[in-house]
Amino acid sequence: MFKLLKYEFRKTAFPKLVMLALTVLAEAAFLYGYFANKEDAMGTAVLFLVLLTLVGIALMGIMSLVILHRDMNTKQGYMLFMTPNSCYKILGAKVLECGLSLMLAGAFFFALAVLDMDLVLRREGVERIWDVFNQMLQTLNTRLEINVPNVLAVICYIVTSWLCTVTTAFLADVISSALLNGRKGNLFITFLLFLVLSYLIGKIVSLVPATGTIQAQFLYQSLISLGFAGLMYFVTAWIMEKYLSV
Amino acid sequence: MLESKNLTRKFGSKTAVDGVTLSLKPGHIYAMLGPNGSGKTTWMKMAAGLMKPTSGEVTFQGEPVGIASREQVAYMSTEPYFYAWMSIRDAGKYYEDFFADFSMSRFKDLLTRMDLEEDLKIRTLSSGMVAKMKIALTLSRDAKVYMLDEPFNGIDLLARDEIRTTILEAAREDKLLLLSSHLVEEMEAIADQAVFIRNGKLIEVRDLEELRETDGVSMADRYRMIFGHGEVN
Amino acid sequence: MNYDPMVPIWLQVVNRIKESIVTGRLLPGAKLPGGRDLAVQFEINPNTAARVYQELEREGLCETRRGLGTFITPEQSRIDALRERMALDALNRFLSSLKALGMTREDAAAMLNMKEE
Repeated sequence: MFKLLKYEFRKTAFPKLVMLALTVLAEAAFLYGYFANKEDAMGTAVLFLVLLTLVGIALMGIMSLVILHRDMNTKQGYMLFMTPNSCYKILGAKVLECGLSLMLAGAFFFALAVLDMDLVLRREGVERIWDVFNQMLQTLNTRLEINVPNVLAVICYIVTSWLCTVTTAFLADVISSALLNGRKGNLFITFLLFLVLSYLIGKIVSLVPATGTIQAQFLYQSLISLGFAGLMYFVTAWIMEKYLSV
Repeated sequence: MLESKNLTRKFGSKTAVDGVTLSLKPGHIYAMLGPNGSGKTTWMKMAAGLMKPTSGEVTFQGEPVGIASREQVAYMSTEPYFYAWMSIRDAGKYYEDFFADFSMSRFKDLLTRMDLEEDLKIRTLSSGMVAKMKIALTLSRDAKVYMLDEPFNGIDLLARDEIRTTILEAAREDKLLLLSSHLVEEMEAIADQAVFIRNGKLIEVRDLEELRETDGVSMADRYRMIFGHGEVN
Repeated sequence: MNYDPMVPIWLQVVNRIKESIVTGRLLPGAKLPGGRDLAVQFEINPNTAARVYQELEREGLCETRRGLGTFITPEQSRIDALRERMALDALNRFLSSLKALGMTREDAAAMLNMKEE
């Protein structure tokens, strides 16, 4: 299992390194703006950092999906499926890779955000950048305010719900590759299936009542998402084991 | 040792393998012969557990092929299947990571004999070099069954001798080898059984020395008789 | 290795080994490679290689000693007899080829004498 995981990380390494390099650049720009007192540069850098966080987390899941699709639909898949491993292990390594990458990325961007926020909050006068952000957010969501527990809860929620979305996409892609192989309109059916499943899961997750703290709400939703991700994993692996030909 | 019963595989309306019942025994080198699209590759992929049959089954030592059989059945696909980032050394490490029967020292030995540098990236290799590397990888496993799909494809005349030698070195009383090739002549002396397949159907399995002794014909002659139109001799 | 694919391979290998025996490239009592090594050396199927040794043993040209391997017969008389049989075969082939061209034994003998070394 560890070996499978190792190769899943190897297969997705390149885009991750690119993201990391871009983030380092943006952070460097932020620090430059901070120490050189250039608020414009700082503001732009913060925007980029927020964007990179979202794109980076999105990319983790998309990469995992692309690799799974390639492993099922190109000759490269022989490499994986000729090894004496069950589909539960093979897919398990992929879900773990995705989950761990998301967690690591989440932790990384969270740590970065805390550090940068700390820097900013220590200096008077620049604080108003946050006021601007908070005002922006308040027009979108009146309950959300930027502080450490909230950022943590949000990242947690983004990571888990995204993992759930990715595993749903795994299921849709496996159904397409294993069961609908070679049929016309199969991509359309796959996408439709993905939308329906995502919609249903989204509905269920949103049933969590908006009482209590916002952190508690996010935490419950995260747990439900994780549960669905697990369910998707089992159903997907079962279909692969029984029907998949590479 | 490796058997298929009424094995059928369809792709849409096309039947690639059509009710093949075949029993392969250890201690033999089988040449699987048939024109392009006759179902050799599809049969092998099902025997390797990579492809699921439409109906029928393949068993290895009495058990349906699957995760357990992959530990003892070494399959070499005709298409290249390596990851883009891999060097020859990486491919060796990959096999070592996943196959308990893989011998790294045997692999390095074969690479030397085949004139291949470990540091080379696989995607920069010529098709002949990839073919040699695939053979070295597959035959460095100490498997019970070796299935080599087109082992001589893309390999120049001189290297073919090396491939033949390597294949013969892997042969044992308790091992089964199955080779498919268009290059029938390359297998005349190293195979002892020929499996003829046409349009997904098994035509016959013949002992080659018996074929030469009783019918006075070669495997290539028999091939022409079955698949060609011209009469032989 | 080149073989005539229409003639049993074991027979061709047996003949090559016999040639090596009568020409002295393989000495009486010499050890022969094991079956698998013979297969690799001659690029033939291991079952064919086993058949080669069976045949050589049947003709009394080889003997397998349990646990030691296969050896060429140490008896010179058998090797001499083999040479004689092979020479006779060659002669018969020579005669039948000339006969196919419509020549008699006498013509053949005359040609043989006339042919300079």
